[in-house]
Amino acid sequence: MVALLAVSSVCALSLGTPYVPPHRLVGALLDGDTTLAGIVVTELRVPRLVLALLAGACLGAAGLVLQEALRNPLAVPEMLGVSSGAALGVAAPLVLTLSLPAAVQPLPALGGAALGGGLTLLAAGLGRSPSAVLLTGAAVAAALQAALLVLMVMADQLDLQLIYRYLLGSLSARTWDDVAGLWPWLLVAAPALVLCAPVLSVMRLGDEDAEALGVRAQRARLAALAIAVVLIAPVTAVCGPVAWVGFLAPHLARWFNLGAGAVRWLSWSVVWGAVVVTAADVPARLALAPVETPVGAWTALLGVPAGVALMRSGGRGRARRATADAAAVHTAPQTVPSGSVSGAPRPEAPDHTRGGRDTGGGTAPVPGEPTGTEDAR
Amino acid sequence: MLAVLALLCAAVELVAGRGMSPGVVWDVLGGGGDATERHILLQLRLPRLLVALGAGACLAVAGLVLQSALRNPLAGPEVTGVTPGAVLGAVTATALGLAGWESPLAVVLAACVGGCAGAALLWLLAGRGRGDAAQTAVHGVLVSAVLGGLTAMVLLVEPGELGSVVQWLVGTTEGRVWQHWHLLWPWALVWGAAAWLLAGPLTLLRCGDDIALAAGLSARRARTLALLCAVALTAGAVAAVGALGFVGLLVPHLAVAVFGADLRAGLPGAALLGAVVVCGADAAAQLSSRLLAGALDSERLTLPVGALTACLGAALLLVVVRRTPSRTF
Repeated sequence: MVALLAVSSVCALSLGTPYVPPHRLVGALLDGDTTLAGIVVTELRVPRLVLALLAGACLGAAGLVLQEALRNPLAVPEMLGVSSGAALGVAAPLVLTLSLPAAVQPLPALGGAALGGGLTLLAAGLGRSPSAVLLTGAAVAAALQAALLVLMVMADQLDLQLIYRYLLGSLSARTWDDVAGLWPWLLVAAPALVLCAPVLSVMRLGDEDAEALGVRAQRARLAALAIAVVLIAPVTAVCGPVAWVGFLAPHLARWFNLGAGAVRWLSWSVVWGAVVVTAADVPARLALAPVETPVGAWTALLGVPAGVALMRSGGRGRARRATADAAAVHTAPQTVPSGSVSGAPRPEAPDHTRGGRDTGGGTAPVPGEPTGTEDAR
Repeated sequence: MLAVLALLCAAVELVAGRGMSPGVVWDVLGGGGDATERHILLQLRLPRLLVALGAGACLAVAGLVLQSALRNPLAGPEVTGVTPGAVLGAVTATALGLAGWESPLAVVLAACVGGCAGAALLWLLAGRGRGDAAQTAVHGVLVSAVLGGLTAMVLLVEPGELGSVVQWLVGTTEGRVWQHWHLLWPWALVWGAAAWLLAGPLTLLRCGDDIALAAGLSARRARTLALLCAVALTAGAVAAVGALGFVGLLVPHLAVAVFGADLRAGLPGAALLGAVVVCGADAAAQLSSRLLAGALDSERLTLPVGALTACLGAALLLVVVRRTPSRTF
């Protein structure tokens, strides 16, 4: 794990033109701005690497928070309208040529993200089943996307390419200034994350059990959304919505630490997010050498299939392992003949506030129970 | 009633553009008017109107066929990967130089291939048409995301295309001429007729596979044919006007509500409704972009119809999801 992180970081620092061999990296770092290699490394590659690490960590954490709070393995920023809202918030001043001072730059993104996420939650109703929330999120995201495209139609050719590249999430030409802009937000978000981690593990038990343990589920969910927004918005403001990292990282974290709880998954998901973005940035920089491809395109292309695969295999493996103990406990009252065949409307799908306790990627998706989101077959 | 509505929408659409009073339009349609007015109306407005009508009808029928064949109230062309696939196919073909926006035939074919690929991908992922509705819809959203990412990659490699493609990613009827219409209507007619011939089997499929089998219908074959129809119709519409959001998802719901579940009446009804919706949305888009341009004092602002349908559709989808509390989508 740490090795993976180290390897991708070293790759990020040394590859490219000019190539700086790993053993000379330290020298180059210490040289500072006296040699060409030193300038390239300290002024270009290190800030970029730091940004990649930070962005990945934030997105990974946000993804896990959302997934755990909504108890839904598919609750990711992209599908809740949070990302598109943030992107809209960033693109609007660009197109309408409003100039903003650097200090408040994350604010439109923050507003947009909050708008998107809030709209989704408001429209879906907080306590609805996970897939209702998701579909609502998809609808909200589509509407915001349409607004974005309208803006893009208005923009002229040069702006357009800039915006498009940005919208995919790109780390090119980011400097220390951009990194510095992230710190205040992280200072807000990090303690909040630490505070909410234990609540998350309670939320996994389901609304009723959580209430019984003294957690107000609706409020906790809102708080989780707020934290996710604070985590996502500044990253989006700086480097665009690096797509689907928030989807992939938590699944990686769960897949490698099956038995752990939400608290440990959170830390792992942070690390995995950082690894994913850093590793994806290397091909993004080098694949079509003189031209840079945006890192978001890579994470989207690889992240979605990988995430789905992990989700399915994880679900299946866990189901097999857990059938022995868990299934015996809670399947019996819940099993519903899946794929009902008559013309009559399918028998009520299982109540998600109870049946959904397993959908958080947690213990045991019960075989044959349509959880609505996770492939349980 | 609906026909009157359609006529009304068409009339508004013709009048809605810049600087033409209803009286002038009436004159030109009666054979009068001066040359410029005649040109604007007959060469620009009329084909645009027809393309909007045709595309709306195509999308609505495709959506209804998909929803019936997959027995899934959420299976619109957008959430089954058909529309993003079609967009990807068209964009890729253009980027590779195999087709140009000025020769719509190649674009239609490429969009068709792409749409089929998108549908096939979903079919593979969602476990071959079984499984419940919400799962398939969610997988469809994921497939759409991947296809959208691919489209983005292609656009990055060919940044020159970007300007012309963006309009088209959201769906617009700007600048559609007779050539588009000549290509659209035979395609729509053929596949629409095919879909209508399938109406009986589709109605059975709506009831479930077992009932269809008991009635002596080969469910698999009927479903494959129906899906082919739906993909072809979507591809035609996408090639004509771009990815018009949500028409294919929501008009079918309206159609079923209005015409009942018998698809022999429902399919033509859906076509009519789709035409009305798109045409009305286009008229509204033109009117509002005129108003907005007046208010903001900028000539560049035009509201593409796709933006309007996406927003309307999203709002309606929210209503649909909310109004069925007993059902876990």
